[in-house]
Amino acid sequence: MPVDQRRINGPEVTIPYNIYFDSNAKQTETRKTLPKKRTDGRDSTELRKIFVKTGIVSQAKGSAYIEMGKTKVVCSVFDPREIPNKTGYSLQGELFCEFKFSPFSCLKRKIHQQDSEEKEYSIILQRALESAVCRHEFPNFQVDVYALVLDNGGSSLAAAIMASSLALSDASVPMFGLVTAVTAGIYQDRFYLDLTEEEEVICSKAPDESTSSRNYGIVIQANLPQHGQISEFFHVGSMDLANMKPTVEAITTACKELCPVMQQCLVKSVLKALKRKENMEKEDQ
Amino acid sequence: MDECPPITVRLAVDRTDMNLTAGENIGFYTPGQEVSSQTGFMRGHGTYVDEEETLRASVAGVLEKVNKLISVRPLKTRYQGEIGDVVVGRITELQQKRWKVDTNSKMDSVLLLSSVNLPGGELRRRSAEDEQTMRRYLQEGDLICAEVQSTFADGSLSLHTRVLKYGKLSQGIMLKVSPALIKRKKTHFHNLANGAILILGNNGYVWIGANTQEKDQSEGGFTQDLSRVALQDREICARLRNCILILAECNILLTDTSVTYAYEESMKYTPSELLQSEAIIDVALLTQQRLSQF
Amino acid sequence: MADIPLSLAEKTFILHGVDANFRNDGRIRNEYRAMELETKLMPQTNGSARIRLGNTDVLVGVKVEVDTPFPDNPFEGKLEFFVDCSANATPAFEGKGGDSLATEISNTLALAYQSPHAINLKTLSILPHQQCWKIYVDILILQCGGNLFDAVSIAVKAALYSTEIPKVTAATLDGGKPDIQLSDDPYDCIKLDAKNFPVLVTLCKIGDNCVVDPSSEEETCSSASIVLSTLPDGRFTSVVKMGHGSLQPTTLIKTLEIGKLVGIKLNASVMESLKKEDALGTNRPIFGFLR
Repeated sequence: MPVDQRRINGPEVTIPYNIYFDSNAKQTETRKTLPKKRTDGRDSTELRKIFVKTGIVSQAKGSAYIEMGKTKVVCSVFDPREIPNKTGYSLQGELFCEFKFSPFSCLKRKIHQQDSEEKEYSIILQRALESAVCRHEFPNFQVDVYALVLDNGGSSLAAAIMASSLALSDASVPMFGLVTAVTAGIYQDRFYLDLTEEEEVICSKAPDESTSSRNYGIVIQANLPQHGQISEFFHVGSMDLANMKPTVEAITTACKELCPVMQQCLVKSVLKALKRKENMEKEDQ
Repeated sequence: MDECPPITVRLAVDRTDMNLTAGENIGFYTPGQEVSSQTGFMRGHGTYVDEEETLRASVAGVLEKVNKLISVRPLKTRYQGEIGDVVVGRITELQQKRWKVDTNSKMDSVLLLSSVNLPGGELRRRSAEDEQTMRRYLQEGDLICAEVQSTFADGSLSLHTRVLKYGKLSQGIMLKVSPALIKRKKTHFHNLANGAILILGNNGYVWIGANTQEKDQSEGGFTQDLSRVALQDREICARLRNCILILAECNILLTDTSVTYAYEESMKYTPSELLQSEAIIDVALLTQQRLSQF
Repeated sequence: MADIPLSLAEKTFILHGVDANFRNDGRIRNEYRAMELETKLMPQTNGSARIRLGNTDVLVGVKVEVDTPFPDNPFEGKLEFFVDCSANATPAFEGKGGDSLATEISNTLALAYQSPHAINLKTLSILPHQQCWKIYVDILILQCGGNLFDAVSIAVKAALYSTEIPKVTAATLDGGKPDIQLSDDPYDCIKLDAKNFPVLVTLCKIGDNCVVDPSSEEETCSSASIVLSTLPDGRFTSVVKMGHGSLQPTTLIKTLEIGKLVGIKLNASVMESLKKEDALGTNRPIFGFLR
């Protein structure tokens, strides 16, 4: 990817020290294959516990914070504003999404500018949300969605998609439904939902040539569970079609389960706002 | 629905020669070439006079001589409108009281609100309400068939659709060919024997209209029939489309006769086979033969 | 892709046509247009290919250079894609206009080739930790007639198939500094093992069905499309959904099934033609852009 030469880039390229670890030493033994039982004791289709909260960024029109296991993502949404550099009439509004890992969130430090992986994730985030937002309600305007990953404990893109959908509803942007997303990993005919960072690393590498099945990969799927539609599907790896089908079905079921959690959170925040309004009216009297 | 037709990947060594035999020697000139050194000729478009008073061509094209007027008509140009031409255009923009239409000319043509028939066919004054609801009649992207009413000083055209046969075009396929391939004739609307409607716009935009059930013209040409088109009619349209593209690629003039001949010659292929280069050359040569029999 | 404006009636016509399995130009849903492929047409490159698919025209050039491997992958070489949407194709691509499309295509290609099942980067290593080959694949889009992803991926596969990397006759560590010697003979080179290179297949969802090899008008009518990267044995190395619409899970699975069949066929036809061209030998006439 050609780098933007006009910006001053940081110091010379530095190397993370963990590549120098002695790979034979017992303490630093990294798993090569997906263990039969997950380290946190979950089932293969069990999701981690989720915590969601809206309204945490005071300056943004809408915002949400999500925690899934160790993954922490914050998302803010800003009001519709005029699209810069745009002439001509269009019947639909635009969504501008930016996905960013904070520099300290991953094992390897990320630079302040978006690299190609984050740019790709931003586009995936945009496509996942586009089918859910009623774009015809704000023609010629754009809504900004910014997602920032504070700690990458695995499945950060899926968490960002869910946080963005909550933030959009917190910002009262009209939507057709909520968007939920789950990351699944496949390794040699076994698949796990809601990957941790460790499992993600394993599923991104090909199994040895000697093993029977050579499947591996990561699948990120975003659903509109209330309508039974898939709004975004992204797969990287090397997989047979036969393995894809059960994965897709498992993810669709898991996404449906996530929906009530998000709805509950939104209901709570609306009730809180109503109560606050009631109290203020009481004080006025 | 899982049948997969074979995919052919050709190699360049198997490339077929697309150059058909050129006609007799026609007066073909390139920029800078001397046209005539005699004085007494008036110079027309596509020519210029240099310091030694010789007439030279400024574009690559064919010589046209009318009495004392010499001009060089370029092979591929933007459409130059004349009053009375039939054109097919696409709405690009809505402005106050008029639409901007793309007609393959140097500037977008103009369709004034007062030059269209309002739906319902009534004759009434255009009110302020009509201005606001212009989008309901014609939107960006719509295709219309219109006649050139007048030309402005800067060369842009003003269109009108006041006759019932003009108006918004319904289901069908629109093709773009070079305007030089379409000669000015008495009529540009052709109802072909196989049932499809063919409109050869002077500006190079060709419209193949599918045969739809409803032929109701009372609404002033603004309603669109969005019902399903039958499979046979679809096949006719696809075949016509591929034939016209074949004629355009081999620089054969588009008239209803040449299109009909090409259609008949193409019956031995299926419509999708007409996309292969051997079929293109075959059909083009046969059509040229039939045309030159006259 | 550069969107062609269409009227509602034209879109309905195309939609109903796809439903009836008879498209505007007479093809059925799973049919490709005629395509023409030529390799080794540019003498300054290590490998090149040009493809013409309908109105789409793509030129690919491959150059190899010596580089140091990544510190966390010391035994592997590097592969980098760069796409340039030339202003030749449409005025909309002038300046920064074509950038978003170009990054999308190069990202999708990078995803397709990231798997070691597709390309084994270990074969590109010269001296582990010190030197490796870096393959630069530069793609130039000359004409945009719909279905850019498929055309680009076929051209890339052909160009990589025809790439000749000079043979390394000696590679030693001379007092801490790597010392490489390459063979002088221009015909003495190694070719990449192209039998597993993937091909991208675009399936455009129009109405309830999906269409292979969409033209520009059909692309405007679709709300979503899926770009699959298929290996010759039918496995997928990447699946990306494009467009702003959503699909039902059953439609997604159906699309993947069709994509797998089409991908296997396309890979087979491309390899067959490439082998045929190879069999013509080094003295075959190069046509390039003539005729």
